[in-house]
Amino acid sequence: MSLEPRSRDAGEGDPDLEAVRAAQIDRAAFAILYRRYLERVYGYCFYLLGDHHDAEDVTERTFLAALSAIDRFRDTGSTFRAWLFRIAHNQLVNALRARGRRGTTPLDGVPEPAGGDDPARALDRADEARTVRRALAMLSEERRQVLVLRFVDGLSAREIGEVLERSPGAVRVLQHRALRDLERLLA
Amino acid sequence: MSQVPSTADRVDRAIGHVLNGAAPRVAAARAGLPSNDHGLMGMAATLHAALPMPPVGSRFEARLGARLAGLSTATRDPVGWALRHPGRLIVTGAVGSAFGVGVTAYAVWRTSRRAAAGPAHRLLHR
Repeated sequence: MSLEPRSRDAGEGDPDLEAVRAAQIDRAAFAILYRRYLERVYGYCFYLLGDHHDAEDVTERTFLAALSAIDRFRDTGSTFRAWLFRIAHNQLVNALRARGRRGTTPLDGVPEPAGGDDPARALDRADEARTVRRALAMLSEERRQVLVLRFVDGLSAREIGEVLERSPGAVRVLQHRALRDLERLLA
Repeated sequence: MSQVPSTADRVDRAIGHVLNGAAPRVAAARAGLPSNDHGLMGMAATLHAALPMPPVGSRFEARLGARLAGLSTATRDPVGWALRHPGRLIVTGAVGSAFGVGVTAYAVWRTSRRAAAGPAHRLLHR
């Protein structure tokens, strides 16, 4: 699946606008947006819930809600992906509330980073990645969300602000603090 | 007047460089990060590597895709369309009513004209 550049900023214009307009005329065109964002919405849900089944459930709800509300999306400065992740965020909050506990830990089935030809190096990298994910799970929900939306989904601070209802400046501060927390946890 | 970017702004910019593949040191230098925050970019690169896109189950992808396609087709039915667009439904109803009134008025006018013409008129049509 081809992805847009992972750190595209909203200021560059909404690359999904054409597909959104097509979907507003004929809902069958929503398939383009589904294919474009399935992996990213799923990644967001997975890293915050820590479980494949729960992530699938929230991803499904997100796309069903997005399809039924696509007529209401307006190009008013916010990007489609910020709008879509806002829906995902709301579904995620509901899922976390329903579970009555913080989503985290297991995270099985994550592809480990490649270590080149050296198996020992690959093993080290995989260990390091697991340690980092465990540390990430120890952060507050809001800081975790900021890091996942930025590092996994490539949203800009402005878009993350729209998802979490925060100003871009507040998101940047949260991101800085979250990285500092991670650094401290892994020291 | 241009504002001096805060450390958080610079960190954000440097993260952007890391996400686009720049080495941590290069990213930190390019974003003008203070030296005590250079280590953060190493952390950012490690985090980026530790969070690859998790694979989506192919069965799940196909099932949800089919469900969305089914809903897209279902929304093409006229009742669903009418319920989603009440404004258009009113216009359609008004046009339909006007057409009905027109046809009825024409029929009444035609009948009354025939009645006024009397039996001779009716004979002409036999």
